[in-house]
Amino acid sequence: MTETATTPAGAPGSFVPSLATRGLTKSFGGVRAVDGADVTFHRGKINALIGPNGSGKTTFFNCVTGMIKPDAGTVTLEGRDITAKPPHRIAAAGIGRSFQLCRIFPRLTVLENMLVGVRSPSVLHRLAGSRNDGDIAKARELLRRVGIDHLEQSEARDISYGQQKLLELAGVLMVDPDTIMLDEPAGGVNPALVGRIGTLVRELNAEGRTFVIVEHNMDMVMSLSDHVVVFDRGRPIAEGPPSVVQHDPRVLEAYLGV
Amino acid sequence: MPSASDTTTTTPGGAAPRAGRSTFDKALLGARVLVLAAVAVLVLAFPSMAADPFILSVGVVIASYAALAVSWNFVGGFTGYISLGHAAYSGLGGYATALFITKADLNPWLALVVGALVVGLLAVPIGIASLRVRGASFVIVSIALVLILLLVAQSWASLTGGAQGLRVPRPFGEDVLRPEQHERFFYIHVAFVVVALLLWWTIDRSRFGMGLKAIREDEDKAQALGVPTGAYKLTVFVISASMTAMAGGLYALWFGYLDPIFQFSILIGSYMVLMSLLGGIRSLFGPVLGAVIVGYSLEFFKVHYGDSQFHLVALGLLLALVVLFMPDGVLPAVGALVDRFRPDQRTSIREMTAEELLEHNQRLEQAQAAPADASHGRDLETVPSAEEKR
Repeated sequence: MTETATTPAGAPGSFVPSLATRGLTKSFGGVRAVDGADVTFHRGKINALIGPNGSGKTTFFNCVTGMIKPDAGTVTLEGRDITAKPPHRIAAAGIGRSFQLCRIFPRLTVLENMLVGVRSPSVLHRLAGSRNDGDIAKARELLRRVGIDHLEQSEARDISYGQQKLLELAGVLMVDPDTIMLDEPAGGVNPALVGRIGTLVRELNAEGRTFVIVEHNMDMVMSLSDHVVVFDRGRPIAEGPPSVVQHDPRVLEAYLGV
Repeated sequence: MPSASDTTTTTPGGAAPRAGRSTFDKALLGARVLVLAAVAVLVLAFPSMAADPFILSVGVVIASYAALAVSWNFVGGFTGYISLGHAAYSGLGGYATALFITKADLNPWLALVVGALVVGLLAVPIGIASLRVRGASFVIVSIALVLILLLVAQSWASLTGGAQGLRVPRPFGEDVLRPEQHERFFYIHVAFVVVALLLWWTIDRSRFGMGLKAIREDEDKAQALGVPTGAYKLTVFVISASMTAMAGGLYALWFGYLDPIFQFSILIGSYMVLMSLLGGIRSLFGPVLGAVIVGYSLEFFKVHYGDSQFHLVALGLLLALVVLFMPDGVLPAVGALVDRFRPDQRTSIREMTAEELLEHNQRLEQAQAAPADASHGRDLETVPSAEEKR
């Protein structure tokens, strides 16, 4: 990760924009799920996106990753426009994502799940290439890292939900993304595993990967993230370090209606 | 959760890290080789064992079904897109082969190849249009094409012979007698099936195949992981359409006559689907086994119930039984049965012994019971805690 010369690298509180949206808008029928959102996430940081249910977080997520085409606005990654590109292009640009309800390939083995996402130079190469030992070695190393390497021959549907979450994360890492977007990584898993996922995120962040995390588990958000963006009614209403955002009156109002 | 489930999937690219094949695995491999060899010998010897030309012709029909089913399975098995309309491509392949021989004076075998290529080209725009929709919508769209082509073939009499049908010149001279014709076409069909299976096997082991299977499991997820799903689906769809066209062309050369009602029929397309599902669409040999079972049953029921449509009812019953008791198809069911006899714990699923599992579960329970305090932060639509609120 090279920092730009204009910003003092590594200085506390210094943020380099990585993934950014301007005026991002998406309506479903009459509902403006995302409403002109201007959001900037910072490179090399753990960014969190929080907000009450129905505030448009997941729609925002899907617009950024190309799963949904926005009605208006732009998405840029490191200054490059990636608005409305198909998801596989966005993956190739260096964004990996997980899904809200963990999505794995149920009838493929754990190892096969890992081999789907391989960042390759070209379509032609992918079409022609056979699964080489390099990919398999990398897959096994990542499985070991998340702690499910002993399950590599199991079908993914047969492992527990928590293990599936870890598998999904490891699968995303196969694509070697610079930016990793996680949609509720702690949703529906036991506290021990929440801690493990948090540790993994911290380790991967220390290696220079940028994170954008949508999460309801406030303990996790507050302890993990460097920068928090609070969403309400399709746009950010507050942002800043967790300690500041936590006490912002607009955030309290959005969450509690006080 | 560990469970004794099916799957006989082999390790991609080599043995598991804790390798060391067990004797059971060795025996299994040996048994597979033996079965394969026995089937190969039986197939090759079939023409000389067939009692009369009729039996021999049934053999050709079954081989033709196998060729169609294996070709269909390039799309159905890998991507899970169930096309009920593949009769469009077999029919087009048949007509293209016949017309290239009669109108363009091509050598029959060249006509067969050119026909398959032309159908492959046609499949590009069709694939771009139809692969945009998934699930049931794709099934309906795939049927539409067959019905359109049926009307075209019936109406365009100057080219296709219309409802009168189209005679296809035989590739072997008139002096080659019928049994001899059957025998040659039987071997040609078998050769086609072998080549198609080799191609399927190659794709199955490739990165391309990995991406296709990911599309079958979860298309959006696959695309989020960087798989160019559109290009992948289209590529395999065109391969499947060309192979199906060639199988249709082979049939046309053998049978010597094309009737639009039978060429562009929903029934033929359904047979391809049913044979593949019955044998198991995820297995290499599934569609072949399905073709043998369905093809044999069809001929058997036809002989027993004569000209009535009862053979379709009987076939329906057979399929209902298989779907009820072997929903993944016959071959996966057999694989699961074999796995049950595995002496050690090293099935594809059970990586732990019973004691290990017990210990593992106890540890999990402890982990869940212990930090009960940590769970209060979950589901935090409501969070900022009481003091922060003040």
